[in-house]
Amino acid sequence: MTNTAGFFRKHWKGYAFLIPIFLVLGTFKYIPFFNAVKMSFYDWNGANVKDFIGFDNFIRLFQDDTFYTSLKNIGIFTVSGILIQLTVPLIAAVLVFHVKNMKLQNMLKVWFVIPLVIPSIVIYLTWQWIFAGEYGVLNQFLEAIGLDSWTHAWLGESKTAIWSIIFVNFPWIGGITFLLYLAGLMSISSELFEVAKLDGMNAWQRFIRLELPLVRSQVKLVMVLTIIQQIQSFENILVLTNGGPGDTTISPALYLYTKGFSYSEMGYASAIGLVLFIILLLLTLINNKFVKNTDKID
Amino acid sequence: MNRKLLALPHYGSLALLLALTLFPFYMLIVSSVKYTEQAIHNFWGISFPIHFDNYSAAFKQIAPFIGNTVLISSAIVVGVVLISSLAAYSFVRFNYPGKQLFFVLILSLMMIPGYLILIPQFLLVQKLDMLNTYQGQIFPPMAFGAAMATFLMKTFFEGIPKSLIEAADMEGAGERQIFLKIIIPLSLPIIATVAIINFLAGWNNYIWPLVATNGDAVKPVILALSTITGNMDQGVGVKLAGYIISSIPLLLLFVVATKPFISGVTSGAVKG
Repeated sequence: MTNTAGFFRKHWKGYAFLIPIFLVLGTFKYIPFFNAVKMSFYDWNGANVKDFIGFDNFIRLFQDDTFYTSLKNIGIFTVSGILIQLTVPLIAAVLVFHVKNMKLQNMLKVWFVIPLVIPSIVIYLTWQWIFAGEYGVLNQFLEAIGLDSWTHAWLGESKTAIWSIIFVNFPWIGGITFLLYLAGLMSISSELFEVAKLDGMNAWQRFIRLELPLVRSQVKLVMVLTIIQQIQSFENILVLTNGGPGDTTISPALYLYTKGFSYSEMGYASAIGLVLFIILLLLTLINNKFVKNTDKID
Repeated sequence: MNRKLLALPHYGSLALLLALTLFPFYMLIVSSVKYTEQAIHNFWGISFPIHFDNYSAAFKQIAPFIGNTVLISSAIVVGVVLISSLAAYSFVRFNYPGKQLFFVLILSLMMIPGYLILIPQFLLVQKLDMLNTYQGQIFPPMAFGAAMATFLMKTFFEGIPKSLIEAADMEGAGERQIFLKIIIPLSLPIIATVAIINFLAGWNNYIWPLVATNGDAVKPVILALSTITGNMDQGVGVKLAGYIISSIPLLLLFVVATKPFISGVTSGAVKG
């Protein structure tokens, strides 16, 4: 008894400073998390129906065509996202980095980052307007250059919808990856560039032999971030196509949202979330190992 | 010679990439001051008269929601800074059993994706009678921001010389004084970064208010964007004007606080 009292007299301050954060996190993250795990084993509509059904939700999920469509879609999003993030923003960062005039370089940096400052929903809504069938910017442009036959209801046709979502923010520079690459380039010692110059390397040789190898930790980070981000694709799809036409552009997160809130199948929705969480967790573990190993080499 | 030959494709491609990046925003701005009639006849260029009345029409429709968003985002920022700085202080200042465990418990929350707990969070907020309230839109996002913020602040606090704190301790300063008079004033850069991350997140939050509110009373501006309408003459211009108005506060924040803004968004990215 006196021991516990002494223990708390000695340590109470440390614990006291943690109380506010754990009150908030406990209520709004831990409890919902455990409920999400628990509910995935229930047939639950969020109100009066609540029956334990074991693994039935998961069994049903692995026979659900829409779920497989959603997995295929995040596969497409992830692969194209990686290809995009590893090329155009890197090229732009190299180009900006080699602008000699510092004032101009800073200006370019700020202008390229503008899309990052705009609320993401505004970006999606803007692109929705660009892709619109009638009086959409893209179709107007195609008509203006005489390619009337190329016009589409970009977001409304199953062949073009998913690629339109990927195309959003073209040329895909105004994002965090551009800043990460630029930071990586800035940390390269200037002596190396002097040597490259003395060796008479041209821009392409310099890129392949010097810049690309030296920003490879950024490249890896961008890959990891892109995978994690694309697997969670949600708001962009919700705003642009709401998963349509049909289910052609649906993602697992959006499927969860629809099942949970439109159909009140909250147990089933939780099972979708749990499966996706486990996929993400595995990928993160693999990534951590992967990234740590390369750190050692560096 | 060589340098001049290189300069042209270099600056040429930069100009092209920048033009493509900014083109949607050019179209947004130009079209936001047109009536339907003007948009049909002159789609690409600037068309006179410039209709700023589109902006007043849009502003009238979204002004109360901008107020809601400012209130909600600011409250999230204050809450996150408060609980995270207290927790970070505990981790840096004191030694007690379970310290590592508590830190890991907070940090591991960053691994839980938002949509996984969307439904139980909704049911919880419903149970707490917080649907359609400001609190309901403040606390759950606050919990999301707190883990990252604690991590950033702990790292920063560790860089503050221990001798400074020990000296104050010797002088008989209490924890409250050390925290408020030494730690907080020295940590303004990281507080600014944390504040900007969470203000941005609060402003951008779309799914949570979509789930946790209905009706207009506490609706944030991001949700109001899809309901902006113009009259027959004005057409789509009013909507676009609304998009721009809702972006201006963040643009201003970017202009006045570029450095913490950039460090905020990049550290926010690394969190994954």
